[in-house]
Amino acid sequence: MIGMIFILSYCVIGLVRIILQLPKEDRKKFFISLVTPKTIAKNIRDIFCDCLFHVKLWKRNKLLGYMHSSIAFGWFMLIVIGHIEVFLYVPHRAKLFYYPIFFRYFVAETESTMRGAFFFFLMDFFLLMVLSGIFLAMFKRIQSKVFGMRRTTNPSFLDLVGLYSLWAIFPLRLLAEGFTADISGGSFLTKSLNYVLNSFLSDHTNMLPAWWAYSCALGVFFIVLPFTRYMHIPAEILLIPLRNAGIRIKNARKGFAKAEVYSCPNCGLCIDACPMGVMKTHIKDTTVYLNRQIRRGNEKRIEEISDKCLLCGKCTAICPVGVEGDKLRIAQRSIRRYALNPDYSNISTSLLPVSDGNRDAVKPAGEEKVLYYAGCMTALTPVIRKAMESLLTKAGVRYDLMDKDGGLCCGRPMMMAGRLDQARQMIDKNTEIIMSSGAHTLLLTCPICYRIFKEKYILPGIEVIHHTEYLARLISDGKLKIKKDDARYVFHDPCELGRGCGIYEQPREALSFAGNVVEAAKNRKESICCGGSLGSLTLGFEKRKAMTENALSNLVVQSPDVIVTACPLCRSTFSRYADRPVEDIAEIIDHKTLIS
Amino acid sequence: MKENILIIGGGIAGLEAASQLLKLGYNPIIVEKSDHLGGHVAEWNRLFPDMTPAEDAVARLVSGTTEANIFLNTEIAFVNRLKDSYNIMLTNGISIITRILLFATGFSLFDASKKEEYGYGVYNQVMTNADLERWFNTGYDERIPEEGPEAMGFVHCVGSRDEKARNSQCSKVCCITAVKQAIEMKQKFPQAMVYCFYMDLRMFGKKYEDFYISAQRDYGVRFIRGRVSEVSENIDGRLIVKAEDTLSGKPVKVTLDLLVLMSGIVCNPGICKTAGQLSLPIDSDGFLKSRDNIMDITDSSKEGIFYAGACTGPKTVPETLAEARSAALGIHNYILNGMK
Repeated sequence: MIGMIFILSYCVIGLVRIILQLPKEDRKKFFISLVTPKTIAKNIRDIFCDCLFHVKLWKRNKLLGYMHSSIAFGWFMLIVIGHIEVFLYVPHRAKLFYYPIFFRYFVAETESTMRGAFFFFLMDFFLLMVLSGIFLAMFKRIQSKVFGMRRTTNPSFLDLVGLYSLWAIFPLRLLAEGFTADISGGSFLTKSLNYVLNSFLSDHTNMLPAWWAYSCALGVFFIVLPFTRYMHIPAEILLIPLRNAGIRIKNARKGFAKAEVYSCPNCGLCIDACPMGVMKTHIKDTTVYLNRQIRRGNEKRIEEISDKCLLCGKCTAICPVGVEGDKLRIAQRSIRRYALNPDYSNISTSLLPVSDGNRDAVKPAGEEKVLYYAGCMTALTPVIRKAMESLLTKAGVRYDLMDKDGGLCCGRPMMMAGRLDQARQMIDKNTEIIMSSGAHTLLLTCPICYRIFKEKYILPGIEVIHHTEYLARLISDGKLKIKKDDARYVFHDPCELGRGCGIYEQPREALSFAGNVVEAAKNRKESICCGGSLGSLTLGFEKRKAMTENALSNLVVQSPDVIVTACPLCRSTFSRYADRPVEDIAEIIDHKTLIS
Repeated sequence: MKENILIIGGGIAGLEAASQLLKLGYNPIIVEKSDHLGGHVAEWNRLFPDMTPAEDAVARLVSGTTEANIFLNTEIAFVNRLKDSYNIMLTNGISIITRILLFATGFSLFDASKKEEYGYGVYNQVMTNADLERWFNTGYDERIPEEGPEAMGFVHCVGSRDEKARNSQCSKVCCITAVKQAIEMKQKFPQAMVYCFYMDLRMFGKKYEDFYISAQRDYGVRFIRGRVSEVSENIDGRLIVKAEDTLSGKPVKVTLDLLVLMSGIVCNPGICKTAGQLSLPIDSDGFLKSRDNIMDITDSSKEGIFYAGACTGPKTVPETLAEARSAALGIHNYILNGMK
């Protein structure tokens, strides 16, 4: 009873605080979304699918999915049916919400009616379901591998209290209902328990303590809930409508970020996903621990964890509740105070001229013009730029080079470092150059640049395209003729291109014109970061090496001849340690293009 | 009967050790994987600081080993450890039983194409120090224009003192080699502008400093302190090199016709297999680990196995020759003590 009042009031206060912390326009967006029928439907569907049925977990591992959905859905149904029973039998008591919980204790039912037996059966059925889930949960503590998890989180003290009380609730309920089964009725589970353990359970003096133990376990669970990982149960119900309303992280600690942090169920799926996980010492730097430290307000650790991350986004991609580990970290970085804040706004764009690409292109002037922005990383791997220019020439495309003779960074590294003002200055400068170039298409060979151009630049009338997409298009349009042979290629999905921009198909499509595409052990959404990411501010070279080697071993399981990627940074990181050639997709296509 | 001593590597260390061992009355056997003796030095043109022709130095060393058994184009297939000796199977089918092995396996030149930003293998006008020496020897390289470059540059520390290239050690000889090559280019093409992009200049050896001063004063070589950041090609096919001048604190951009990368000395990956079969320890820089880096540089931690030259780290030619002699003496003492 006390537990219930406490938890309800805590949740309501928490809810109001989070909503109040949202920026004004976001708040408006949220309330509008709550009354829009389409989002209401989506909210309800998402809440049912994620909170009760745990659909994402089912997709990941059937046992894990069953464990969660049996507990969540079973419990939910116990509550619902309990309430229906109360409504049916003692409507005047329905206002007391503790009543359904202890219904069996208060009311003696008869199962003479069909209806009674039906409810008894349902109640016992769902209780059995929950119990099976609890049993699996206990088993998981010992053998998490069976559930597809190599490693799991180390629970804090309060988490353990919550865990044990949760485990205790349902067996105690079974016991308590077993006592009352012969008085107030029961079904296949409680009745038979009462029958089997007759000598003990028929002694009604033991009845009261059992019901007390049950209610205590329940009370303890609810009282500790706000301070444990189980806070994710109520928090996720808030997070889903917020997300569906299109609200994103704006403040590092308040509003949406807070809702995400509290929605983290501490399941530890991100531990196995994290590329830093190859070294045991980095387990405590994963997103689940970041969330825990943010809840505790441990500033030193928050800073350490946020800085170390490669921002590959894999934890975000696999998170069952949708906590955005990478964006949370960028937000933490953005609130840092720096002694020096460089100002790039006085760089004159006239010093950064656009230079001519192929001057003797076959196409007459006035047709579509491509502006090729190579970016800093491509400038350091000139072979990619050379291959791309050669391909553009072969395809007869009219193009200009944006940063051949001096250029400005796209701003993504500053963005990743949380220095949003500096990133904004670069975005403004580049936008100015691009808009005055008269180009129709902005071509990029670096996914790091591509992502920020896609997400943060406003370039009306200009198509932003990554070279993997562009090559696939040139080939399918017949502008490039490719000679296919039986070389085996494995494509490494760069973090920023795959998880960042959702481009998985086009590179494989383009590659399949040149040879046979084989897959890595973990690919697409689950692709492993090369370790060279600009995301991390503090990770040392030796530590990155271990990650690169791990990522390489993942790529070569099907013994490809060449490792192909579409990111200059992945390319140079991999080629440092790879035992076979590492090439950019542009190089492969360029070698295989027939010159007509 | 003369004691057999197997020398792995027919470079200058192996040759000098063999000639000393012959003088001491032993029977050295040289196994060389390439088709010529003299190793890297044989491919060089002239040696600093006195511009001695490398050819002469190698010829002198080879003349001292005429009585030794030499197998060219041969490598070690496998090694069997017997009770107090080794049975070594060569790839030409010969097997040798010996109590003593001398590693004179030398080094490898860093593969400059791994430093992609410098454009080796991407741009036509980028070459390595070894390519330039070959051109000095043969006079043929299509990367060097007939009339000479208008402007050219040397990039120091390519793949050495570079964690990203997996080599944190200093290669020791490239600073002076770059200065030597810059002077040689200036002698051939007095009109050319020659730049050297360096981090530090480590002019530790005899007469090196004089060399460096002369390069600046007499030949007008421009030294720019700062690493090259990137190399690209302009529309006329000339190279645009961007670097930072850390002395003036400004970025510099120069247009060149030729860029020479001073590839560093890195460990020879070819010896890993044999070293593994003998369970010889490898140091953190990838070179063979001596028993002690001060007192026992030519000794391994295993009985009867000795080292000479650049297999234990980057060395100059005189240092390598001195070590070869020292190793020969070490072997001699080992045999004498063993016979007692």
